Formats: sequence, structure tokens, C-alpha cells
Amino acid sequence: MRIAKYPFAVLSAALFTVLLVTPISSISNIIWLSSVDMPISLLSALEVLLFDFQRLGIALFAVFTIAFSIAFTVAGLVSKFTNFGGRNLYAMAGAVAIGVALILMVELLFQTQLLGGNRSFIGKILHWVAGFFGGYFFYNLISSDRSYTFVIRFFGVFYAYFLLGLVINWIFTPASAAADFGFVLDELSDSAQNALLRDFTSFFVATFVFSIFGAITLNPAWFFSAGIVYYGAALFNLMAIYVHGTAYNQIYIGEIVLGTWPTLLALTIIYKNKSSN
Amino acid sequence: MSFRIFLSLFFLSNLYAAYKYETVLDDLDDAWSFVFLDENTILYTELPGNLKIANLIDKTITNISNPPLVHYASQGGLSEVVLDPKFESNRKIYLSYSAKDENNKSTLFLSSAELKDNSLINSKVIFKADAPRRTSVHIGAKIAFLPDGTLLLNSGDGFDHREKAQFLDNHFGKIIRINTDGSVPSNNPFTNIMGALPEIYSYGHRNMQGLLVTSEGDIYEHEHGPKGGDEINLIKSSLNYGWPAITYGIDYSGAVISPFVEKEGMEQPLLYWTPSIAPSDMILYQNNLYPELNGSFLVTALVSKDVKKVIFKDGKNYQESLFSDLNQRLRNIESSPAGVIYLLTDGPGGKLIKVLPKDQ
Repeated sequence: MRIAKYPFAVLSAALFTVLLVTPISSISNIIWLSSVDMPISLLSALEVLLFDFQRLGIALFAVFTIAFSIAFTVAGLVSKFTNFGGRNLYAMAGAVAIGVALILMVELLFQTQLLGGNRSFIGKILHWVAGFFGGYFFYNLISSDRSYTFVIRFFGVFYAYFLLGLVINWIFTPASAAADFGFVLDELSDSAQNALLRDFTSFFVATFVFSIFGAITLNPAWFFSAGIVYYGAALFNLMAIYVHGTAYNQIYIGEIVLGTWPTLLALTIIYKNKSSN
Repeated sequence: MSFRIFLSLFFLSNLYAAYKYETVLDDLDDAWSFVFLDENTILYTELPGNLKIANLIDKTITNISNPPLVHYASQGGLSEVVLDPKFESNRKIYLSYSAKDENNKSTLFLSSAELKDNSLINSKVIFKADAPRRTSVHIGAKIAFLPDGTLLLNSGDGFDHREKAQFLDNHFGKIIRINTDGSVPSNNPFTNIMGALPEIYSYGHRNMQGLLVTSEGDIYEHEHGPKGGDEINLIKSSLNYGWPAITYGIDYSGAVISPFVEKEGMEQPLLYWTPSIAPSDMILYQNNLYPELNGSFLVTALVSKDVKKVIFKDGKNYQESLFSDLNQRLRNIESSPAGVIYLLTDGPGGKLIKVLPKDQ
């Protein structure tokens, strides 16, 4: 697993930096909305923070992964062939990577600033600082040997991160979430609305929680639980189509992917545990 | 009975018959707007800064000399052209465009000029937006006349400056109302407000494209939302249309712009589109050449590549997609003096397409 350490350290550092960066845009936006007397509450602030972490974060994750891959490779070469090295080198590399990535995002995207939090001077500094800590985090990950659990945990957390979008959509904007599944919420009866929101929200929250618990405890039962839920969804989707004559819905492909992902993590844990015994 | 069935089938087939099209002009260089000088002659703009006259019969194209110097970049350049309501006697036209200001920033300009012998003379800048930006995005630039002879102009939010749409000390995200000589009408809503720019008629807008005034004096405007939340608004003096404090869209990056879709003191749109259609122009069609379209708003769209027929009735809206078989990003729509609909396609290599009535 030594070979896998570096790419997964880059991915983990990118995700960690996303966690630090997205609140900069969210909070600057919340402060502005408050300044024009919009009724920002704890709940609406949380809504902005979580949506930004997931939806804005997914795009930034891709950008940061590329930027860190280049920056940390260069830092590694500098470390190998010069006297410079250590955590400060990687931290500086992380800061420069984020700074350059954000400049390029502006110059290559119609010279407009897509990232709201990067429009002010303080925002720019905070993004560089986030990159600095991202580099520092990367150094900590590579500075000691990592076992397979590092990869399992990354994929478990990333799975939960992916599901987070569905979770918060059902919690904060249920009409929009329902529309994505073909329901017009307002046209349902009150009890049907209740059933829909209750069941769908608990479905996605449960699988999100299962994967988080799996990543923390490395108990394969949690990952199996998430896998069973989505395999079940795929199975009953096909049954609905071919037994009950509903419309064809290719979302079963996504359900199989979402079932296979945690199942593979669970099987890997079992296999590794057996090997070590 | 059989005669009734025949009649039903006849009318149904007519209702759903496909429109036919005729490409009248092609290879246009980023054409943005056009206006009819007569049934067979148009005056049109191209974003790089060209103003041209085209004869739609013999297809000859004539360059108009002395157009304004524009900043052609991104979404900006020579944008809207309209004729003065008394054009027949005074030969006056109005042009909106993006150009660099004294600080080398791009902003929206409005000029008047006389069209004489294929040349512009007596050109005069009658308005320069206090909306400087690094590059020409979210310009707005549509022009319409009110029945009292004053002129409305869309001034977009400049993308990076969206928050300024909520403040009255600038022209980002505003509809502007001025006299044709550039002076400010004394009855503009914010003329007596300390710190407010007197040209502002309404505020809280994003990137407005469609703008029209009905014969009753009602003002309709549409604007691009971000990702979702394109809107049609009924514009009234002094009102705040909410952007970006309330919106039905999210940012292109996926970020939340606002968790709110409504607030007291901020106007709701007549309708909104999510996902976005990218509305680019709008007319209120009032002619019987296409009886099925008479009285409808026709909205061209860049992303959905069609024209949305929209009818507002009893507080509801009814929509239908037209001309989607063209499969073109549509930039502009005009009705000729005789009521023939023409569509302008977007981008380099653009076309002017004539829509033939169904019985032709």
C-alpha cells in the first residue's frame, strides 16, 4: 500500500482544503445577505454552508486535486534534490497551488470571478492560507506509513460527501429534491407529502450515516448496510419496471454503483482482516 | 358528423403543422440586434462594432460608416440598435454598446446619431453607465421607448459586481430611464434621493436582455438567471426586483447565491425558468399573419434553442416551445412592418431566418 499513499494523500488534502475553502465564500455571502437585512437564521446559514461544501466543493475538489498534484510533485522533487524540505515546503506549495489555481480560474473563465469569497482581498488571503494548511495536511499524511485503512477511510468519507448533496437537498429544499425524482410536491396530498419527505430523507440520511460510521469504525457491517440499501433500490427498481409495468428508469445503474462502492469497501476490510489473521 | 370530424382534423393539422423557414442572410459576424427600415430592409449590429444595412430581397449588405468605437470582448460590443419614434422625419437612431471609459474599464454606453447616406452623423454619447468592470460581461444593453418619448435602457450587473444591484449609487443591475438628449426626466423615482443616481428607474436586476413596452405602457423585461432562475418581470418605477438577495437560481459554481426566493419589498417575477433557457430577446406579437401567435410574448432562447410562446392570463402563464426544429441558439426576434417574424441566430456565422406563416 505504500505506492497508494501519495495519490490518496493528494485526494485527502484536496478534500480537506475544500472543507476550509468553501466556508469562505459561504460566510462572505451570509455576511452580505445580513447587511441588506435578509433574515439569515442559524438554519439558513447552515443551509448555505452545507450546500456550498457539497455543490461548490465538488467542482473545487477537482481543481484542487490537479493543482496539488502538480505542486506536491514539484515540492517532492525540490525536497529530493535540494536542502529544502519538510512540512513548510509542502505548506508553501499548497498555498501557491491554490493561489495559482484561483487566478487561472478567473483568467480562463471569461475573466470573471466565479468564487464569491475570492472577490475581496481578505478572501484571497484566506484561500492562500487554506492552501497552506492543505499542504501541511498532505505532509502529515505522507510523513508516516499508511495501511490500507487510509484508502478505505478516504473512499468511505468521499462516498458520504457524495451523498451529502442528496441529504441536504431533501432536508432544506424538499420540493426541488422531489422534482428530481419526478414528484411535483405541491400536487400531492398533505399525507403523501409527509410520507415522501419522511421516507426519502431517512433513506439518504441513513446511508450517509452508515458510510461515515464505516469510515470511523472500519466495521464492514456499516458499509454492507449502505450497500444492501442501494442494491435493494436497484432490485426493486427493476421489479417495478418489469413486474409492475412502471416507466423505465435508468437510475438503477446509479443505484448499483452506490451499492457496489460500500460493498467493495466492506469486502476489502474482511479480506484484509483475514489476511492479517 | 363526418364533416365536423373533417373540420376538427383540418384545424388540428393546421395548429400543429410545422413552420417553414427561409434563410434570408447568412455568415453574419456575431449579429446582435436588428430593426426594420421598411418591409425589405433591415439595419443591424454586429458585436465587433459593425453597423450594416441589408436588403432582404437582393441580399446586398452596406456598411454604415462612423459607428461608435466599441470594446468587443466576451459578451460585449455593439449591441442594440433602435429607431427614434420619429425616425421618418429626423433619421435618428440609438445604439448601445460596451466601450472603455477614461480609466480603461469597460462599461455600457448609449449614443444617438443621425443615419444619412449610409453614414452616422452628429453622433453623441447620451449616457455612460456608472458600472465599470474589467471585461464586458452582463452588459444588458436593450433599449425601449415609453409612450412619453423617454427611453429605457437595461444595464446589467457586471457579474462580479452583482451585490451592487441592490444599491442605488451605481448603474449595475438597473433599468435606466432618460430623455433622448441624455437628460434625466424630472419624474424619475430616485431624483430626490441623496446618493442615488437619478437615471435609475428600477433596480435589483441581473443580466437583462428582453425589454419591451406595450401600447398600454406596460414594461416587460426578462433577465438571465445564473444556473436556473431566468425571469420575466413586469417593471414598475422605483421597485426592487431582488437580485441577488432573492433568486430562484444557484451560482454556476454550484454555490448558493441566496437561500431566499422572496422577501417583502422585493418583486416576484411573472414567471421563472429552472433550468435556464437563457432568454435573449422578446417581442409582443400583434398581427394576424400567424393567428396562433397573435397577442403572445415570443421569447428567443440561447440554451433551449427555441422560442417560448408565453401568454399571461388570470395570474397564470401558459407556455409553448416554437421553432425548436431549427436547433439554433436564437439571439434576436423581430416582426416586420407586415408582421412577418424574423429570427437572428447567435454567434459568428449567424443567420437571419424568415418564419413563413403556416399557410404558405
